[in-house]
Amino acid sequence: MEIAFFTMISGTSFQSAGEFSNYFKSYFGDLLAQSAPVLLLAFGMTLVLMTAGIDLSVGSQVALVACVMASFRSGPTFWWTAVPLGLVFALVIGLVNGVLIARLDIPPIIATLGTMIFYRGLCFVVMGDLEKSPFIDVPGYEWFGKFLGATLVVGVVFVLGALFFQYSRWRREVLMLGGNRVAARYAGIPVTRRLCEVYALMGLLAFFAALCFTARNSSVSASSLTGLELQVIVAVVLGGTRVQGGGGSLVGTFFGVVIIAVMDEGLRGAAVWGDQHLPFKISHLQYLLLGALLVTGVWLNTRMERPAK
Amino acid sequence: MKQGPYSRFLVQRLVFLFVGNLLLLLAIRLLLRAGGSFADVLKRCGPDVAPVILAGLGMTGIIFTGAIDLSIGSVIVVAGTVFGILVQSGFGPPVCFGASLIASWSLSMLNGLLVRSLKIPAIIITLAGLTFYRGAALILAEISIPNFGGNISIPDEAFHSPGKLYAGRILFVALAAALLWEAFAKTPRRWLALGSSEEACRLLGLAPGRILQSAFFASGIFLGLAALIFVTRVQYIEPARLALSFELQVIGAVVLGGTNIFGGEGSFAGTALGAFFLYFTSQVLTYAEVNPYFQEAVTGAIIIGVIGLDCALHRRRKLLEELA
Repeated sequence: MEIAFFTMISGTSFQSAGEFSNYFKSYFGDLLAQSAPVLLLAFGMTLVLMTAGIDLSVGSQVALVACVMASFRSGPTFWWTAVPLGLVFALVIGLVNGVLIARLDIPPIIATLGTMIFYRGLCFVVMGDLEKSPFIDVPGYEWFGKFLGATLVVGVVFVLGALFFQYSRWRREVLMLGGNRVAARYAGIPVTRRLCEVYALMGLLAFFAALCFTARNSSVSASSLTGLELQVIVAVVLGGTRVQGGGGSLVGTFFGVVIIAVMDEGLRGAAVWGDQHLPFKISHLQYLLLGALLVTGVWLNTRMERPAK
Repeated sequence: MKQGPYSRFLVQRLVFLFVGNLLLLLAIRLLLRAGGSFADVLKRCGPDVAPVILAGLGMTGIIFTGAIDLSIGSVIVVAGTVFGILVQSGFGPPVCFGASLIASWSLSMLNGLLVRSLKIPAIIITLAGLTFYRGAALILAEISIPNFGGNISIPDEAFHSPGKLYAGRILFVALAAALLWEAFAKTPRRWLALGSSEEACRLLGLAPGRILQSAFFASGIFLGLAALIFVTRVQYIEPARLALSFELQVIGAVVLGGTNIFGGEGSFAGTALGAFFLYFTSQVLTYAEVNPYFQEAVTGAIIIGVIGLDCALHRRRKLLEELA
């Protein structure tokens, strides 16, 4: 429905069914490649929210990994210097979050608020005011920004994740520690370890998100991707995951991201129309819509839950 | 069991911050070059931290109740935009000041109302507010100012008096009032009670919803003052950039001040000391001529470090309580 609505706004008209299907293909291909980072992060954020935590530092994490990778020399050597180091670095910063939350027992929101500032600060330490783009000259790198590459990365993560998720004890342990941490500890679940794993996984996904982002945008600066965490959280919440932990669905998250991406794309498509007819920039509507969607999503979630109790 | 209004932990934190602030001041004094005057540093620090402390006092009250307000930066933007629009349309200073106060107060009240009526965690509501209000401010500015180019210029000095001349005095009066209020009035104790246990509050015959609303009410007033100082200190009001991540500074100061982020424990004095601590640290870095790019990272590291240490020290007790 949204797609229909925003396509209408963007004023595109179709002569034939074939044209429509072509348009549809390119539209969704683009949409998916564009929102690959958000999709990947939303996958991790679903898990984090299941443990009754939250990770506000995802935007900074992706930016930091991208910045660190960008400070390496371009060329074919990039593949075996920057990429593996970026991967290790991403795991480390994810694990730092995990240790802060699980070992030191800092409330997740405070810990990740701190690391959000800290990692963003590190971005500036690494990059200064520069905007670097070594990614263009790396052979084969832009593949990650194209439809096929992005789909493959996202697909592998989601399918493997979903399979693992469906059949593993790990998932139930994560869900249980989110539902009731004390009970989980009594049941012999290694709570600290599971929490560390979840946040480290978030770091890993931040690495893949950084790959997709830099391949598509080809340049990165210290202030890229600010406010990404909000989009991710809104998408996950719209997908029906409880913010209080103990429940959630990956399929829902996928559709949550799609809704937000379509909204984004629709607003971008409507920009020309908006400039002529509205007294304000239509892209600013995105702020309002994100906020309204977040509240509506959470409200609906709690509404739907209540009768079950 | 507890002696006096503050727990042993809170007293420890207050002493730590107080001594820390003195040490940081000493460091600034030592780092001062010839020609820089220490009196100037002292004179400037009041107005500089005023917005953080004022907003922090309101935030402390909200966090007492176990809620949180992430939208304060955006609320300040709305207040600033309203202020700018009124200045541009030719209203006098008192009207503009009043309007920005009322704008921030009413948005804070709106946050409280939404948290109460929708029964959604405050963090979610105000996270939504964080983006919503900023977008609303941008759209408001674009609608009401012809040829809006991204910022509103306030050239007339008459509109800058609260921020540039009276900030220190406003801060002093508000802080003194808050401390006295905390020491002698019932309302802050009610907030703490709500933060400790909503169920116990209800059983005692207190109305949790109303207590929560009163916290947002008080926060609105403090936030209004903070917004007033914030927007009258700058020459240009730029809705897209103004007060960006201000809420992080404020929450950082509150948490550093020993207030429990889940509610039920804390103090206004701690917030003020915490804000000074963060400010003096950044000043030390400036005077030590540390690369300005390091400042954000250091601020983040301090928040994580102090809170992490604190949580780690309390961990064993907490785990034991959990299992008891």
